[in-house]
Amino acid sequence: MANLYGRLGLKALALGLGTVFLVACQGSSSSSGSPQGSTEVTVWTAWGGNELTAFQNVLKPFEQKTGIKVHVTTNRDSTTQIANGIAAGTDLPDIAPATTDPIQLKDWVSKGVIKPVETALGSGFDTYVSNTYPGLVKPPSGSTGDDPFIGIIGGKHYYLMIKYQIKGLFWYNKKVFTDPAPKTWTDLLAIDPTKYGAQKLFCAGVESGAASGWPASDDLDNIIMRQSGPDVYTKWINGQQKWTSTEIKQGYQALLQMTSGNNVYGGPNYVLSTNFAKAGDPLFKPAGNFKAGCLFLEQATFQPSFFTQSFPDLKAGTDFDFFGHPSMGNSANDGNYNGFYDNYAMYNDTPAARQLMAWMVDPQAQQIWASSGVSLSSNKNTTYTDPVFKNAATVAASGTNMLITAGDYMPTDMRNAYWKSLLDATNNPSNLDSILKHLDQVQSAAYQAS
Amino acid sequence: MDQDTLNQIITAAIAVVAVPAALLGYIYGGEWVIEHLPDGVQKWIRPYFWALPAVGFATVFMVYPMLRTIVFSFRNSADTEWMNGLSCNGQPCSIFQNYIYFFTFPDTLTSLRNSVLWLIFYTLFAVGLGLIIAILVDRVHYESLAKIAIFLPVPISAVAASIIWKFMFDYQPTGTTQTGTLNAVIGLVGHDPVAWLVNSTTNNAALIFVGIWTATGFCMVIISASLKSISSEVLEAARMDGANEFQIVRLIVTPLLWPTITVVGTTMIINALKTFDIVYVLTNGAYNTDVIATQMFRQLADAKYGRAAAVGVVLFVAIVPLMLVNIRRFQQQEEQR
Repeated sequence: MANLYGRLGLKALALGLGTVFLVACQGSSSSSGSPQGSTEVTVWTAWGGNELTAFQNVLKPFEQKTGIKVHVTTNRDSTTQIANGIAAGTDLPDIAPATTDPIQLKDWVSKGVIKPVETALGSGFDTYVSNTYPGLVKPPSGSTGDDPFIGIIGGKHYYLMIKYQIKGLFWYNKKVFTDPAPKTWTDLLAIDPTKYGAQKLFCAGVESGAASGWPASDDLDNIIMRQSGPDVYTKWINGQQKWTSTEIKQGYQALLQMTSGNNVYGGPNYVLSTNFAKAGDPLFKPAGNFKAGCLFLEQATFQPSFFTQSFPDLKAGTDFDFFGHPSMGNSANDGNYNGFYDNYAMYNDTPAARQLMAWMVDPQAQQIWASSGVSLSSNKNTTYTDPVFKNAATVAASGTNMLITAGDYMPTDMRNAYWKSLLDATNNPSNLDSILKHLDQVQSAAYQAS
Repeated sequence: MDQDTLNQIITAAIAVVAVPAALLGYIYGGEWVIEHLPDGVQKWIRPYFWALPAVGFATVFMVYPMLRTIVFSFRNSADTEWMNGLSCNGQPCSIFQNYIYFFTFPDTLTSLRNSVLWLIFYTLFAVGLGLIIAILVDRVHYESLAKIAIFLPVPISAVAASIIWKFMFDYQPTGTTQTGTLNAVIGLVGHDPVAWLVNSTTNNAALIFVGIWTATGFCMVIISASLKSISSEVLEAARMDGANEFQIVRLIVTPLLWPTITVVGTTMIINALKTFDIVYVLTNGAYNTDVIATQMFRQLADAKYGRAAAVGVVLFVAIVPLMLVNIRRFQQQEEQR
């Protein structure tokens, strides 16, 4: 019996040690508090690669100048973790991206979790607003007051806009397409690709693992905002516009013109089977007797990195370029354009956090982003050496209404159904009506609290 | 050392000392108490005393979550209301609203249909091929080599296997070089390339095929092991009586293997119902390839916890009878020994 007790005792000890291990692991995940408010600041970022390098270059002069130590933690799931932290009452980072879910954002604001940019920047706020692209700090023209999509709630700004990308651009091979950009959608579709030695008008690739379909959703967003304007667009995001309505249906129909077998390289099956990162390859690859597989690819400002991934020798500005989205025929909506931004928000109001918030939108820091060649700065006065971003800055400056990417601000089930619907519609365009009817069904369930 | 680190060390120290101490206290203290009880009570209480920790852990980590899931399936996603307290199109919802959703919404019905397809074809082919291969390789001298070849996909994780097959199923436009192996092969015989994963007549079959590819080796190994235990005297006797090899397989080997086939078969059915990774990686349910498990995951990811719980309960109810069959089979085998 004693022997048995001895063995059981050992087992108990082992179990105890296991528990210790678990406890220790659990403990280490919750240490992200604000150490000393005036000499240190904690920042979370989701950036990696070139973006992270650029961000570190932004922080370096700040640390040298102020002597404040910035602790940067990479966290790609910060919204969930901050939401958990709020629920559990644990320490939050001083500065981190805020949620882009409008409902969650209102909740955080009402709980006082994030502090207004007005507070963080103090007297510098007005300069920040006048330096920044209007679309990032002012609601679309015509509407006044709050715009949770860009972090304006209760008349206060909660997103500090750091950098910026533009979507809905038409990329082309400069050695193949040599004419001026088409002005309207009709002009675009009237172009004969074979005249330039290209097989088809468009290239497209919408495969993206579990998120397949999103590249086409960007294209559709850009069509709908230019066909039907910001009101329909915003109502659509908020679930107040039926998918079967004429406005949305005609958007799908225009998009399906792009991916029809006549217009798209490889046909719909190829579009659905091809990863978005590889979608632009046929611009630079001969196809049969043609110089190139296609003439145009619609994608955002981040596209050049995919071009150079497949073809390392390509140079922006000499080998490829882009033009902005053509008009959909309604001149009142030509100023609408689709952008997405990276924001930061202040969670702990400390002197060091305020200083860093001010620095991140300082023209000098913004110029570091502009010179990095990875993105547009949010400051409209910076200068670009990269020809692509130089061109993108012109598009951003000429647009009047920046509209956010629709799917990103819909409830997740609506967004997923939206992305999936584009796959189904590309696959079977004749099923469009039943696909849209199904989206109405999802909509009526997605926007209810259940 | 800052306060956080210190706190962690204190917590760890308490756990190092307190948890084993509590367990040892339970064992020694409990035995001490039991030893001082009358003999009859001692005999009665001791098994319960020793089983209590195990039962306790199972209750906390398995029974409670299961019951909680069942309760959750009748509540809203925020877990604040019963479903019949909510309004559905102006009417009060049914308490079974999450289940009604599952059995009426077109997307979930497609996933239900596909899971049935998986259940039938995946199980049939994995077990059937496993059986046939096990019997065939038993009769050749390069048996172990052949078995290794068939077994190779088993240790590959389902995600890696799916990525391998993603390349195999790759599609390029007609008239260009086919980088996907399958389309290259059918191109050799002059057939146009097929978008295996997009085309809704081929995609479910393609996914199930990947499942069969990863599972056949497992079925073969188990069946083969059981095949080896059939006494060679029985087979000799049959041959002496003039039975041909086909008759031996049909009338002697297969019936003797039947208990094993049932166990392997039920395990495969459970696998088929749980299928997730292959579908998630290859199509994520697009083009009507959703299955129950990807549907459950999607509801979870969309924060529809009530609906996800309902899917989980349906899956659980479907699997329980199969597990009972399996357990009964094991018990019969134990009795035979």
